[in-house]
Amino acid sequence: MKKIEAVIKPFKLDDVKDALNGIGIKGMTICEVKGYGRQKGHKEIYRGAEYLVDFIPKAKIEVVVEADQVDNVVNTIRDAANTGKIGDGKIFVVPVERIVRVRTGEEDHDAV
Amino acid sequence: MKASLQAQQKVLEELWEQGLSGQSLLRKHSGLIDAFICDCFAKVANDNVSESVALIALGGYGRQEQFPYSDIDLMVLYSPWFKRKIQEVSDAVLYPLWDTGMEVGHGVRTIKESICQGKEDFFFQVAMTDARLIDGSQELFEELQVQYKKNFIEGQRDEFVRTMKLFRSERREQFGTHAFLLEPHIKEGKGGLRDIQAMLWTAKVVFGLDGLSEIVSGGILLEDEAHEFSSSWNMLTKIRNRLHYISRRKNDQLYFEQQLDMAEAFGYAGHDGVLGVEQFMRELYSHLQRIAVTTDLFFEHIDEVLGLREENERSVGDRVVEKGIEIRNNRICLTESVETIRRRPQLLMRVFLASARNGLPVHHRTQRAVSLNLDLISDKAQHSGRLSRPFFEILMEGKEVLSVLEAMLETGMLGAYIPEFKRIHTLAQHDLYHIFTVDRHTLQAISELQKVLLEEPQIASEVVSLRVLYLAVLLHDIGKGASSDHSIIGAEIVPDIGKRLGFSEEECVALAFIVRYHLFMPENAMRRDLSDEAFIGRCGEMIRTHDRLAMLYLLSVADSKATGPSAWSDWKAALLREMFLKIHTRLEVDRDGEGADFQNQEYEVQGAAWLRERVRALLVGEQFFIDVNDLADDYLTSFTPEAVAGHIILHAENRTLLRQKSLALGRRQSDRYSLLIMAHDKPGLLAKIFGVLALRNLNVLNAQIFTWKDGTVVDVISVRGVEGNEYGKEGWQELNRELDLAINHRLDLTNRLYEKLRRLDGRQKGPAARYESQVVIDNTSSGRFTVIEVYSVDRPGQLYAITQALADFGISIFKAFVATEVEQLIDVFYVLDSSGKKIQDRLTQEKMRVELLGTVESPGWLNEKK
Repeated sequence: MKKIEAVIKPFKLDDVKDALNGIGIKGMTICEVKGYGRQKGHKEIYRGAEYLVDFIPKAKIEVVVEADQVDNVVNTIRDAANTGKIGDGKIFVVPVERIVRVRTGEEDHDAV
Repeated sequence: MKASLQAQQKVLEELWEQGLSGQSLLRKHSGLIDAFICDCFAKVANDNVSESVALIALGGYGRQEQFPYSDIDLMVLYSPWFKRKIQEVSDAVLYPLWDTGMEVGHGVRTIKESICQGKEDFFFQVAMTDARLIDGSQELFEELQVQYKKNFIEGQRDEFVRTMKLFRSERREQFGTHAFLLEPHIKEGKGGLRDIQAMLWTAKVVFGLDGLSEIVSGGILLEDEAHEFSSSWNMLTKIRNRLHYISRRKNDQLYFEQQLDMAEAFGYAGHDGVLGVEQFMRELYSHLQRIAVTTDLFFEHIDEVLGLREENERSVGDRVVEKGIEIRNNRICLTESVETIRRRPQLLMRVFLASARNGLPVHHRTQRAVSLNLDLISDKAQHSGRLSRPFFEILMEGKEVLSVLEAMLETGMLGAYIPEFKRIHTLAQHDLYHIFTVDRHTLQAISELQKVLLEEPQIASEVVSLRVLYLAVLLHDIGKGASSDHSIIGAEIVPDIGKRLGFSEEECVALAFIVRYHLFMPENAMRRDLSDEAFIGRCGEMIRTHDRLAMLYLLSVADSKATGPSAWSDWKAALLREMFLKIHTRLEVDRDGEGADFQNQEYEVQGAAWLRERVRALLVGEQFFIDVNDLADDYLTSFTPEAVAGHIILHAENRTLLRQKSLALGRRQSDRYSLLIMAHDKPGLLAKIFGVLALRNLNVLNAQIFTWKDGTVVDVISVRGVEGNEYGKEGWQELNRELDLAINHRLDLTNRLYEKLRRLDGRQKGPAARYESQVVIDNTSSGRFTVIEVYSVDRPGQLYAITQALADFGISIFKAFVATEVEQLIDVFYVLDSSGKKIQDRLTQEKMRVELLGTVESPGWLNEKK
């Protein structure tokens, strides 16, 4: 079992959600996050004065899937989130040790 | 026996299902419990017991208002000599009661113990107000009443009211948070049942008035107020009954998930795009509101009668604010007779203005007078400047504007003045996002707008008419509550309102536009690629002016902040701000077909080569004297290719002229002029340009200064003239002539300016130095140039002074950005010293800094130069 975390541009969120739904992934966790990465904060000049934006707004999607689905999910997210420009984001795949469904106590495969 | 009470409660629930509700259900329930307790008591009662023990119902149970799952508040009162046997009696009553599974709050006390307890526990003291004998000794019960009066009422009235009010405001604080706005607490919330009780208790203790009808005959409430009040009370009672039944426990908060069922049960069906549940909540809110307002008035009245004032309230002396309106006891009072008010209906608005100016609430009797005279807000009054002027002052400058507007809403004044506002009165939205009803949300938004404008003075200064912005914020959701898009409906409604309040045709159009597109920015900031130039371009085409962009942005921020905690975060703020800046820059470019595209890096890097091609394509076929390859990237990206080609063509056409003289071409652009100046670079040229502009009363709004490789200066300066001073072709020619004289040292600019500004200085004191002046010299930002930034107060001639000071240092200015904000001037100069190098020497830098600071801070600079 793997968890896939994708940090993407906010406006790509709907596209990525739709694409994941398209390959049968219905459940995911989404949150608003602040990126302080390579893209860095940027300065905007407004009427001669500088506004420093010290973080970049990003959206994070988390999905847990069986190991054999990982490639499919990663590729789907990548295709949907890609604009070819800086700041498109990153995808992380991490192993999941154990899952418990709080309501029923079901574990692992049953709880996905 | 236990079974019998439960069986009867089951029957009660069935009766409830068949429609028994409100007070009668509560009384019946109390009766059932009474009977149960009497039965238990009968088993142990003998003469001795009946003389020595009294079973007393307290609190809600005492009032015979026993809600289905509420606690039973029972007290076993006994005479001291019975102490040894009381255990037996209380066990006989309490055990069966516990066995039924109901929550029992109980106490076994003597009279003395009860009084002691009452002194320690205010709630117990209050609960005793409602004491009712269920069974046992009448004598004992009466003795308790006497002792109670003696200890807690006589001479204690002030203290009682103070404590009651303290708990009341604590309750408001605790249950008035965002969570409770969405999911109102029927008992403890603002306007909930506890507010009613607090009023009834206080009336009983202070005036000995028992119940609502006695309060009316005591003249504290009017007949129809009391009537409306009790219908709201009744509604809350019904809701709380149902809430207990559907929650199967003592639950007094109407949770979001329960609201749908509740609305359905009360027979609310959706129509015209409003959900049944939204109508239901709307009515619930107006009931809560009515109770809150009525009880507020009651407590204000009590304060006055007893002469109480909260201690922390600052005291303002009594005085006359204007004819007919006075401050008395920290309240705004209307002192004119009804006849006078009939003649001067604007007084009804002006009391709120006085409230807004002084930050004091309007006296409750005056509020009532306003409510009773709303018919005076006739069609004529709605059109009158006598009302609209104070109205806008309240919106724009009112202190505690939210409270003032709430009072206007509650008295009905707002709805009378802007009848369209009634559409959204207490309109609820059934989602987790909007925590306020629509009317309160818009009032909240006005209060947020006041704050946002203070936080964003630069953006605020781009708004041409703040009246339009304020009215747009007040009315942005006016179209809600109908089946189709509320923005579109709102945009249809608002122009009429604007017109009525004295807006010009142009202002009405702007108002409608803002209302129509008030969701445009928040909706798109999160969903669109903000680095997509095509999208930003379309936004620019739609929004068109900086004025409208600034209004949309400021409204979006105020609107989001007033919606609820989930609608606003710095995450969303960052996206919204980015969208604003991107469109702003784009408008800058579009407006002039020139204008500054300040540092759009992507555009700059990828675009310059492409732009160069475009310019070249435009210049095909004729002979020019400028190599397109020599044009700097930042110059190219600051203008459209057409504009750049225009400069080059102009240069070719006037090549001979430009060797000796300058070229100045102006054209009108909405409220300003765009002035193109070309000339051959000379030391101090920029100072001369700014000097001539100052002489001609033209204010520089922003300026872009570029120098071509061949030494030709291309300056595009945006200027604004004094009002009523139109510039035509002759005007520009005249200016061109003067500029030529200045360049060729035939015009004593310094002297002329000195004469002019000295006269001006005498009359108008330059704006107070609200901003600290600042000079920053920076060698790191640009590879080739030293960048000098000057921040200072904007006053006539200031730019001339700064640029002349730079020229005196022998410095060449290659590029400059000038922007004036509200009274503040921000200049950025890209410069090299006389030998064409960066200014590296620390000492020189420091000297320049000091000199520049001195120049911008002291208006006496002209004196020294002379």
